[in-house]
Amino acid sequence: MKENASATKSLRETASRLLSEEKVAAVIGYARRNGADMAVPVFVRRPEDAEQLVFDDGCFGNLAVYLAKSEVRALGKLGIVVKGCDLRTVNVLLREHVVDRDDVYLIGVRCAGVDDSGATRCAACESHDPDGCDVVVGDPVDQPKVNAEDRYKDAAEMETRSPEERWEFWRRELDRCIRCYACRQACPLCYCKRCIVEKTAPQWVESSPHLRGNIAWHVARALHVTGRCVGCGQCERVCPVGIPLNAVNQKMAKIVDEWFGFRSGQSPDEQGPFSTFSEDDPEIEIL
Amino acid sequence: MLQLTLDGQKVEIEEGRTVLDAATAAGIPIPTLCFHRAAPAAGACRICVVEIKAGGRPGLVPACSYPAQDGLEIETRSERVVLSRRMTLQLMLARSPEAEVVQKLAEEYGAVELPFERKNEKCILCGLCVRVCREVIGPSATCFAGRGADREISTPFERLSDVCLGCGACAFVCPTGAIDPATFCARPLEKIPNEFNCGFDSRTPVHIPFPQAVPNKPLIDREHCIHFKTGGCGACKEICPAGAIDYDAEDEVVEENVGAIVVATGYQLMDPGVYEEYGYGRYPDVVTSLEFERMVSASGATEGELVRPSNGKPPKSIVFLQCIGSRRECDGKSYCSKICCMYTAKHTVLYKHKVHDGQAFVFYMDVRAAGKNYEEFVRRVVKEKAATYLRGRVSKIFQRNGHLVVRGAETLGGGQVEIDAEMVVLAPALLPAEGVTDLAQKLRVGYDQNGFLSEAHPKLRPVETNTAGIFLAGACHSPKDIPESVAQASAAASKALGIISHDQLTREPTIGVVNEMTCNGCFECETVCAYKAIDRRELKDRKGEVTAVVAHINEGLCQGCGACSVTCRSKSIEVQGFRDDQLFASINSISR
Amino acid sequence: MIQDNTQQPDASKWQPRIVAFLCNWCSYAGADLAGMSRFAYPAAIRIVRVPCSGRVDPMFVLKAFERGADMVLVSGCHPGDCHYTSGNYHARRKLQAFRELLSFFGVDPRRFKMSWVSAAEGGKWSSLVTELTEEARKLGPFEAFPSMVNAETA
Repeated sequence: MKENASATKSLRETASRLLSEEKVAAVIGYARRNGADMAVPVFVRRPEDAEQLVFDDGCFGNLAVYLAKSEVRALGKLGIVVKGCDLRTVNVLLREHVVDRDDVYLIGVRCAGVDDSGATRCAACESHDPDGCDVVVGDPVDQPKVNAEDRYKDAAEMETRSPEERWEFWRRELDRCIRCYACRQACPLCYCKRCIVEKTAPQWVESSPHLRGNIAWHVARALHVTGRCVGCGQCERVCPVGIPLNAVNQKMAKIVDEWFGFRSGQSPDEQGPFSTFSEDDPEIEIL
Repeated sequence: MLQLTLDGQKVEIEEGRTVLDAATAAGIPIPTLCFHRAAPAAGACRICVVEIKAGGRPGLVPACSYPAQDGLEIETRSERVVLSRRMTLQLMLARSPEAEVVQKLAEEYGAVELPFERKNEKCILCGLCVRVCREVIGPSATCFAGRGADREISTPFERLSDVCLGCGACAFVCPTGAIDPATFCARPLEKIPNEFNCGFDSRTPVHIPFPQAVPNKPLIDREHCIHFKTGGCGACKEICPAGAIDYDAEDEVVEENVGAIVVATGYQLMDPGVYEEYGYGRYPDVVTSLEFERMVSASGATEGELVRPSNGKPPKSIVFLQCIGSRRECDGKSYCSKICCMYTAKHTVLYKHKVHDGQAFVFYMDVRAAGKNYEEFVRRVVKEKAATYLRGRVSKIFQRNGHLVVRGAETLGGGQVEIDAEMVVLAPALLPAEGVTDLAQKLRVGYDQNGFLSEAHPKLRPVETNTAGIFLAGACHSPKDIPESVAQASAAASKALGIISHDQLTREPTIGVVNEMTCNGCFECETVCAYKAIDRRELKDRKGEVTAVVAHINEGLCQGCGACSVTCRSKSIEVQGFRDDQLFASINSISR
Repeated sequence: MIQDNTQQPDASKWQPRIVAFLCNWCSYAGADLAGMSRFAYPAAIRIVRVPCSGRVDPMFVLKAFERGADMVLVSGCHPGDCHYTSGNYHARRKLQAFRELLSFFGVDPRRFKMSWVSAAEGGKWSSLVTELTEEARKLGPFEAFPSMVNAETA
């Protein structure tokens, strides 16, 4: 575990100050708890508790998921610790009116990458230094150049396989889905009060964990994150059966990037690609 | 008000006006040559002299410039006046025997003997051109030069004038047509082709576009107007007695809320120049039917006299070609333009009226004369030999010995014919007006591959479109003639009245409805909606506190397309009549 | 008569089944015109009328495949001519992205077709259906989804 003493110190100071000045009702950040191999989310309500806050390479989670919960927003104005990826998520939440910009205080933290094994997202991250926060802490970090090949690496690798190989692969993977919906719970952008899978009249997606319904769930999930997912990687990380969801997410992000020149989470004022259009959108074999 | 007596008649006139004004007000004619209401009076030609009998110094004075005075007694045609005018006219006739205005007056006043040396000048030295250019337009491009017998109108040092604007005001006021600015203006001058007469004559920048224009008021063509090009002239504004001209007027964008729209954008004709075989654009005597209409019209460039554009003489033989661009699927339009057979028959009759000994031919494929009395009309044309109808198409038109040769097929006789023609009239295909497909997209009205606007149902709803409240009339829908256009227009108007004359509007109920309990308030639906039918609604608890902001669909605006229901991730929007469960039921039953 | 359509089709008597979502104002009217003009086309096509191609959720297409369609067609107004102004533009984006996703998962994208047929194009409609039926015949029955383990058959 790599510690980041400078960021940790600044976070504690910032949080303590914000809370004692009553600028925020709570600061959502990371803490270390006994035995956990990763940093866990913590809600700091009092200035003296700010000492709990840490920042290190075990800070995997996307804390923005809490902003999507009405009971959290009910606490009042919220301070939140955001890495670059988390900040982009917040931009999407802002553009979808989930939370007001005036109701959050964004504490950005410069991050060189976290260590949740298998995550290509950090290698392809372009926001090591989050831009657009109320305050940014942490020592300067290198920002290597990232190109589209790196950004959509997992999807591209999948596309080198033949259609038959792909079908075999995904049948096998999606057959293992147990419909725990951990991916949905972990994703900050899955905030619907009543999810499409919970609608029974009519039933869009069969609820039992069998292959046909599993495919329908994953198709629906992929379509619902298209143009919104910022690649924080939490869905794949929390999946108990290890379905490679990042590849699917990257594929959809690649489509909207190549076809519409759109990348999600750059600003709270952007408009999603599925609610807008261009007369010159590409047409592929439309008869 | 002043009172004076003219020829024993008491006349009242405002102070500051002239004797000529008083005479005009009283209806007493006084001849003038150097007077024009566009320019200040000079009293130069002495034709308008009248005799003061009392109330002022007795003698002859020029009526155009002599100020009216209270108590003046004037005779406008006394013996002394007549003698004076006669002498003046003798002098003028000797100088300008060809000038029509002088000739007419000379005849009236018996100015026959010319005891003077003869000249042949068009210019009668009235000075109107000089005065109008100096006082009204401004640049003062011409002036009097020389003295005595050598007096003439010229530019300084007889050079081409840099200050002349080419406005043509001098030519306009000249009574004898003696002056032409093209001879001394340093700018190149071009005539403006009169669009209504298909370019056969020219017009001025200030013009009424055509005799039946609505409103029947002149407009200024900014592109050619001298004032807009150079800042000079401004004559029209000075002359206008109503002060109606405002050079600074700008285009306005006017927004109106209306309940119904009737689209009647009409048609344009195809340019037959695309078919090189007919020689349109190459040979001046090959014209379109619309150009022919303008040529034979009494308000046209030749006032109704039909002449060949190449030499100005009446055409002794004329050939009419039907279906130029129509009924030609491979390289033109596949449809029939409907009106051409009938107007061509009419044109043959018109031609016969104008050129009694002329010969007319019509190359046709089928004669479409389906309207009331139409067939009988065409039969008459053929029977009374107004035209010879040849069934076949023309392959080529070329020139030989100064006339055109029309080579075509004559399928009833079974051969090829060549006709020597002095003029050829082509009947081009009717097309929808320019830019109508852009308008249609804005109105959300459909159109076919030819650009004609689509009716809601060809049999049962011929004047409605698929967009409620928008109706069609006339050639924008399909080629048709006047009686049909009028009938369609009446129908469209009555449909439109039907909408706006009720208190309530009935509409389709297949609109979207939001489930406010499950809506997350992301408002992607608001962005998607093409009709801005979705807005935001606050949900409140009993204390009046806002608990949520959710989407709300305006029942009056929603058209029921369903784009919002697809965009909604939580499926909180249903389109009545096309609900998800209804569509699922269809899909389930037919997939297997 | 209630038809029992839960049986597997007899392979020798198999006919392709194409489920088509047609927008009411253009494609459905175009198909209607084909009928009025007496253009013949194969009965393989089964039509679901929707107000606009923008009403077609990609999940409808998936559902049609799940229930046994061998091919699915979505047809709307030509771009620029949508009766609802922009519904077909939204359909174009979503449904093409969905087709890419299907292909990514290994489903043959040729089974999902899109077209623009206007109300005046009766001829185009009948040629299109004839062409697609031929292609569906060549691609063969699409049994992948109906044969999958699901709640009814598990």
